[in-house]
Amino acid sequence: MASVALKSFVGLRQQASTEKPHYFFTSQSQTKPPRKLKFQVLASKSSPRLTNRNLRVAVIGGGPAGGAAAETLAKGGIETYLIERKMDNCKPCGGAIPLCMVGEFDLPLDIIDRRVTKMKMISPSNVAVDIGQTLKPHEYIGMVRREVLDAYLRERAKTNGAEVINGLFLKMDVPKDGVSPYVLHYNGFDGKVGGVGEKRTLEVDAVIGADGANSRVAKAIDAGDYDYAIAFQERIKIPDDKMAYYEDLAEMYVGDDVSPDFYGWVFPKCDHVAVGTGTVTHKGDIKKFQLATRKRAKDKILGGKIIRVEAHPIPEHPRPRRLLGRVALVGDAAGYVTKCSGEGIYFAAKSGRMCAEAIIEGSENGKRMVDERDLRKYLEKWDKTYWPTYKVLDVLQKVFYRSNPAREAFVEMCADEYVQKMTFDSYLYKTVAPGNPLQDLKLAVNTIGSLVRANALKKEMDKLSV
Amino acid sequence: MSISLALFSPPTQPLPLFSSSPSKPHLTVKPHLSLRPSKFLTTTKASAENGAGTSPSAATALEIQPDQKVAETPRQVVQKGESSVGANGSAGAVEIEEDNVLSQFMDPKWVGGTWDLSQFQKDGKTDWDAVIDAEARRRKWLEGNPETSSNDAPIVFDTSIIPWWAWIKRFHLPEAELLNGRAAMIGFFMAYLVDSLTGVGLVDQMGNFFCKTLLFIAVVGVLLIRKNEDLENLKKLLDETTFYDKQWQATWQDEKPGSSKN
Repeated sequence: MASVALKSFVGLRQQASTEKPHYFFTSQSQTKPPRKLKFQVLASKSSPRLTNRNLRVAVIGGGPAGGAAAETLAKGGIETYLIERKMDNCKPCGGAIPLCMVGEFDLPLDIIDRRVTKMKMISPSNVAVDIGQTLKPHEYIGMVRREVLDAYLRERAKTNGAEVINGLFLKMDVPKDGVSPYVLHYNGFDGKVGGVGEKRTLEVDAVIGADGANSRVAKAIDAGDYDYAIAFQERIKIPDDKMAYYEDLAEMYVGDDVSPDFYGWVFPKCDHVAVGTGTVTHKGDIKKFQLATRKRAKDKILGGKIIRVEAHPIPEHPRPRRLLGRVALVGDAAGYVTKCSGEGIYFAAKSGRMCAEAIIEGSENGKRMVDERDLRKYLEKWDKTYWPTYKVLDVLQKVFYRSNPAREAFVEMCADEYVQKMTFDSYLYKTVAPGNPLQDLKLAVNTIGSLVRANALKKEMDKLSV
Repeated sequence: MSISLALFSPPTQPLPLFSSSPSKPHLTVKPHLSLRPSKFLTTTKASAENGAGTSPSAATALEIQPDQKVAETPRQVVQKGESSVGANGSAGAVEIEEDNVLSQFMDPKWVGGTWDLSQFQKDGKTDWDAVIDAEARRRKWLEGNPETSSNDAPIVFDTSIIPWWAWIKRFHLPEAELLNGRAAMIGFFMAYLVDSLTGVGLVDQMGNFFCKTLLFIAVVGVLLIRKNEDLENLKKLLDETTFYDKQWQATWQDEKPGSSKN
């Protein structure tokens, strides 16, 4: 265990040296493939030129991934269709976005309901650690309502020329060759409410599947399944005096009572708090965990009324297949949610954009047909850019969410300012600032110390029960 | 490593003292837990009761207000829409009610969210072993009765205030004898084996890189594999660490046969 912890921090450093953020495809189109791949990726300049029309791409799903993809595509001169089933869909979601997303996606500040600057982590033995102390005055974690964010991104895609279709995607016919169009079948609603909709078809040259965990696009390309965590969340309206405490503060509870492999949370929303928990391994017990989470937060949410109960799946890892032919998956449909923190909005939007950029580049702004090789560039770049982040968080989850003693050690570790700084830097900006090797060493030693101490205590506890 | 282990081994004799002394506090403290349930209730719940009066009858009120009248108020937590939760909730609610009576960890030595070290004095020094015992007991208790976190009474106890030698003395030394003995035996037979196979004597082996590596492996092995199950656990750990990599790389492995087919 100890050696694993050590390794993870080495990994962090390596990542810092190799990974540089690239936000625009133009700046680095000629990078080398991340690992040795058996096949050679060539730019498909050989693919046929399109006559009389531009490339047509359908984006299925209008969440952050779909919205970002559609906007980028439309800007790149591609004929874009965005199919969304429910325009005011309010997906159950924590709704936290990192600071860099505001800048990168140019989000207006008024869609951010709350700016969280304090984060409290509470260990199984109720040691509370405030981990926002190192934040600079302008830094915060944004809390958004998904219905607002999604609508905004869709609207922007529309302004840029994408055609937004209110419809339910049903299935698609996959062509045998590389030039014939994909035929999408969907029920169009046209703003009618409650109707079944009318069956329609749409012919496109490429498809981006951004339709979430139960993706029909993924089914259509036989993308395989992923393990998922179930997240359960209650929106609770609490009295104003209690709400004042959650003004700019979020809480994370860890412990076996709250979740055996994830954490319980209290997140501030626009005028209420969301109290929830998640788990992969004990999905059947989720209600029990929810009760425990509520109990742990009891003093602070006393007298609250539950206004809404919701649950949703969180992917644990990417699907075995993320693209086939001219169909690519992005966001939750592909499974881009980090472990440990369970963050997905930023990665969804980012993957949507990255995929769209790959299509634009491959098609020379919509003038040529694209093929699998063009789309595969998106996957390559994605894995190269974000794989280290995912891996580090996976290691953190495995080391620190393992057992109660490990969680105690985790909270102890988070009390350290250096840890907080590193955590927030990497969360808010999605880059890892090179750390100080001496500090790293100190941190590693302290962490191992914490782990050893907590596990020693655990041993003693086991003896007590006998 | 083995040298440092050896340094620690002499004081093994006093160990029996350590293992016997903590058992006494057990006996003395436990009764406290069970004997005084009602007393601290008033102190901890006073603030909560202010809020109790505001919405006692609402069906969707989130939490049972903690009060002493357990028997006469069959109030229940009822959630919207979900009957199963309702059932669970009500069962839980009764439980909550009940362990409200005991839901705060109580111990005369636990003062202001930490162990009052002045009460752990023994011969003018702090008896760290007793502190470790007390904390283990507290955590054990908390596992069974998760406690509501509170801003008014934060937990400030940090295990790092217990000095490192207290941990070593308690948790490492009992095993040190065994490990040292094992390391010595393995070292001796390895040296013997290498000598008999290669003819390189013990002194020359010390200057040999291969032999140094062997020594290192032996020491690490002795430390990591203490029981037979440890080997299994290490294997599992290795699988676990590479599992996520495999899940990610599935896309790329799938590619080769896939692309040749198409």
